[in-house]
Amino acid sequence: MTVARRFFTQEWSALAVAIAIGLATLSALSPAFLTEYNLYVVLRSFCVVLVVAFAQMLTLAVGQLNLAVGALGGLVAIAVGGMMEKLGLPTGVAVFVGLAIGVAGGVLNGLLTVRTGINGFIVTLATASVFTGINLGVTESIPFYNLPPDFVAFGVKRFFAVPYLLIPPVIAALLLALFLARTVPGRYLLAVGGNPHAAELSGIPRDRIVVLAHALSGLLSAVGAILAEAQLGSAQPTIGADWLVISFAAPIIGGAALTGGHVSVAATALAVVLVVLIQNGMVLAKVDPYWVQFLLGALILSAVGLNRFRAIRIERA
Amino acid sequence: MKTRTARALGSALPALIAGLCLSVAHASSNKIALIPGGPHPYFAPWEQAAADAKKDFNIGAVDFKVPADWKLNLQTELIESLMTQGYDGFGIFPGDAVGINTTIEELATNKAPALALAGCAQDPTKAAFCLGTDVYNSAYLGTKALIEAMGGKGRIVHLAGLLVDPNTKLRMAAVEKAVKETNGVVTLTQHITDTDSQEAADQKINALLGAQKDQVDGLIATAYIPSVVAAKSLRNLGDRRIKLVGIDDDKIVLDAVKDGFAAGTMAQNPYGQGYVGAYVLDLLASGTCKVKADAPFIKTPQTARFIDSGTLLIKADNVASYKDELKKVTNDLRSSFKTKYLDCK
Amino acid sequence: MIASVDMGSSFRLKAWLAEQSNAIGLAGIVLLFWIVFASLAPGFISPFNLFAMSRTLAIDTVIGFSTMVVLATGGMNLAIGAIGVCSVMFAGYLMQVLSLPGPVALAGGLALGSLLGWINGFAIVRTGVNSFIITLASASLFNGGMLILTKAVIFNGLPPTIAEFGRMRWDVVSPLLLVALLIGSALIVLFRLTALGREILAAGANARAAELSGVPVGRAIVIAHTLSGLLAASAGLMLLSRLGAAMPSVGQDWLLPSFLAPVLGGALLSGGSVSVVGAMIGALLVTTIRSGLLILQVGNFWLQLFLGVMLLLAVLLDRYRAVYAERRSLGRRI
Repeated sequence: MTVARRFFTQEWSALAVAIAIGLATLSALSPAFLTEYNLYVVLRSFCVVLVVAFAQMLTLAVGQLNLAVGALGGLVAIAVGGMMEKLGLPTGVAVFVGLAIGVAGGVLNGLLTVRTGINGFIVTLATASVFTGINLGVTESIPFYNLPPDFVAFGVKRFFAVPYLLIPPVIAALLLALFLARTVPGRYLLAVGGNPHAAELSGIPRDRIVVLAHALSGLLSAVGAILAEAQLGSAQPTIGADWLVISFAAPIIGGAALTGGHVSVAATALAVVLVVLIQNGMVLAKVDPYWVQFLLGALILSAVGLNRFRAIRIERA
Repeated sequence: MKTRTARALGSALPALIAGLCLSVAHASSNKIALIPGGPHPYFAPWEQAAADAKKDFNIGAVDFKVPADWKLNLQTELIESLMTQGYDGFGIFPGDAVGINTTIEELATNKAPALALAGCAQDPTKAAFCLGTDVYNSAYLGTKALIEAMGGKGRIVHLAGLLVDPNTKLRMAAVEKAVKETNGVVTLTQHITDTDSQEAADQKINALLGAQKDQVDGLIATAYIPSVVAAKSLRNLGDRRIKLVGIDDDKIVLDAVKDGFAAGTMAQNPYGQGYVGAYVLDLLASGTCKVKADAPFIKTPQTARFIDSGTLLIKADNVASYKDELKKVTNDLRSSFKTKYLDCK
Repeated sequence: MIASVDMGSSFRLKAWLAEQSNAIGLAGIVLLFWIVFASLAPGFISPFNLFAMSRTLAIDTVIGFSTMVVLATGGMNLAIGAIGVCSVMFAGYLMQVLSLPGPVALAGGLALGSLLGWINGFAIVRTGVNSFIITLASASLFNGGMLILTKAVIFNGLPPTIAEFGRMRWDVVSPLLLVALLIGSALIVLFRLTALGREILAAGANARAAELSGVPVGRAIVIAHTLSGLLAASAGLMLLSRLGAAMPSVGQDWLLPSFLAPVLGGALLSGGSVSVVGAMIGALLVTTIRSGLLILQVGNFWLQLFLGVMLLLAVLLDRYRAVYAERRSLGRRI
């Protein structure tokens, strides 16, 4: 197969083309688009969304819908902020505890789901309320503003156009890709999602794998929250409040199947890039910001439609 | 000696008795609630204002109650619940200028006076009056100060709050007016709205500065959070060329004014709104006073009964002293309030 | 066998009780909370508070119904908030900009809600894609479209009769509650007595079996979603009369309450089983707890936590009940 053919049979080829067109349009619209500072701003806006999308992607991989991604993120954000500001804990300790809280929240979700056999959607809807409730009750919606300077600096520092903030998501992406493709638990995860019954019959510990998926999802939510906090320079209780739609949109646009078993790290990442570029473009083109919501819905539908179309064609072939 | 003591006593006694009478007369059993539209750093001074009003005017209770989120139904539920708990005076920042009127009517039916503070309810309303910043004037003065700092020419971008907030529309009109008065020397490039939340402000302001830094000469921010975010971004960029005039007195903005990253900021008077609001609510709730029908109110597009709580431009030269200036404004407002706006027994 | 008729009627009574056990249990919990709250804070049962609660209850009940009819098909509708706000803004536009009379505008709003619901149902059946994705996307589409068209302007110059209806007070209840009860009765009739209702439940319980039995599953799903849209629009319009203005912020936080009431009431997430009465009592429980906690000054910030815990407990209880019922029926070979 020629390179071109190989490119187009990849799932994310449409996304890559769309992104290329988008970049070209944006550079044409605004000459300053390709300047170092602007590229830095654009790259910086990917960071949190990438990790959030991966968090949802993992639970989608096992066929679960995780509504608690944002709520858990918000809780971790204020916990970390509170630890640094009110308890005076060093940054490293606070971050570590924050990640632990994320994992704990994920494990809670996973255990509730497998032990009770209830649909993950309802379980995470409930736990999302619980996490948000703790968040609100503790902070009374007042953010923590006095974060340690080195933590805040991490959110701003850059190496030419590359923000330091981008490093964790890139590492996460690489690790995830490796995990899903090359490690045993990762492959089990996809197996459980693809066909839970067959997986179980093959001896895969289904329940443990689902809990693992939720735990990793929680860990990534926590990472996203800490990145968001560094980016904003304060611990806002509202962090995570608007993660829900984008957390589903990106993996779905990236071709993930809601029933599980099929996700792509690369496609999800490209989907994130596309959506964020569109948002960025809106501001630059001075387009009515309300179009973003509309376009997001249209994007999801077209992505799903395309995937169905492709699936039907493959079936017929 | 006896005469002198007698004379001293003679002059002191009436004052003592008057003082006693005054304090006894002012003690009230009213429970006043100050209710913002939702969590926001702007209202933080209301908590202190409530405590001070309670102490200074001997009010039964003055409490600062915040709805959990910026949703009108949460605010109205809170107000209704407080009424059931026996609160009889309400200082409210309307979650929505019209939507709040149904609840205010219910308060009126139950003989509980309500004031609109820091934001107005749309006429016809049973709110006694609206005590707030004249946002149109504040945005107008702020833009003029910005134009002056820019040397009278250049391109301005307006960073504004929620598009659905009527105050935002007033501010947009005011900015446009100030720009128009330069007869084309200064141009307004765009209004960027919905920036009054951290994440939105961070995204939009950075996107603007990133791509169009060299095409912007001045920023006028008419909401709290974009003022803070713009001040921070300009400092991070090390940019003193782009002039910024913001609003409110967050520490970050004040530091930016001190260090030259911002030309100034328009201070509002949240403390005064809470303090004077509680004072008047107490008088109204006791039945001691009624609002004069022909009081010298200002007419705004939203209400015919508007009272300006004061605004002032903080520049590098009055960063240290602006708090005292505002306190003076508050005290003047309170001490003249009765005679100007109320009919008292 | 002795007196098969006698055994029949008592058996039926027992069966009915067992079926309503969830609703009865729920009602018991509500009563318990009322006693606790009323004794701790007498203001809880003051006429004004009862009136305020009845208004919130009415709206939350209809929101719950909107999700319930879709749960019956085994799907979900994430777009109820978006459909609600679109209907509200459309009605507001008709009344204020086109100066149409109130009833016409309200009918227009209901029609739009039904149309949007129909679009969802049609998309789901035609593409075969999960209702979660379709309604997630359509929520963004509808909401975004509404914002683009209205530019987020609030319509507050509506005819005063609208707001008056929302303020109307019959001693301790609001007429809105009567509207909700009427809607509830209509739904009970639908699910118990009509073929359509049975088809919807069958489609949810086991789509393939239903299809093989000749049930028009596709049509049932489309109708369920259309109905859901109609109910979402109704809830929105009730809120419109309560607020006296058409606001673009309507519907943004409907997701949790929309699931809470039906699930508490015993609706199965897998579809095929709903309880209208249960959903109403579930909504009553939620309103009771919200109002009670607020009055007890537990802090409006901790409410969310309580609601989340409540949902978890409700779901766990439901699961336990299902397992228990299964075990019992296995031992009862009738």
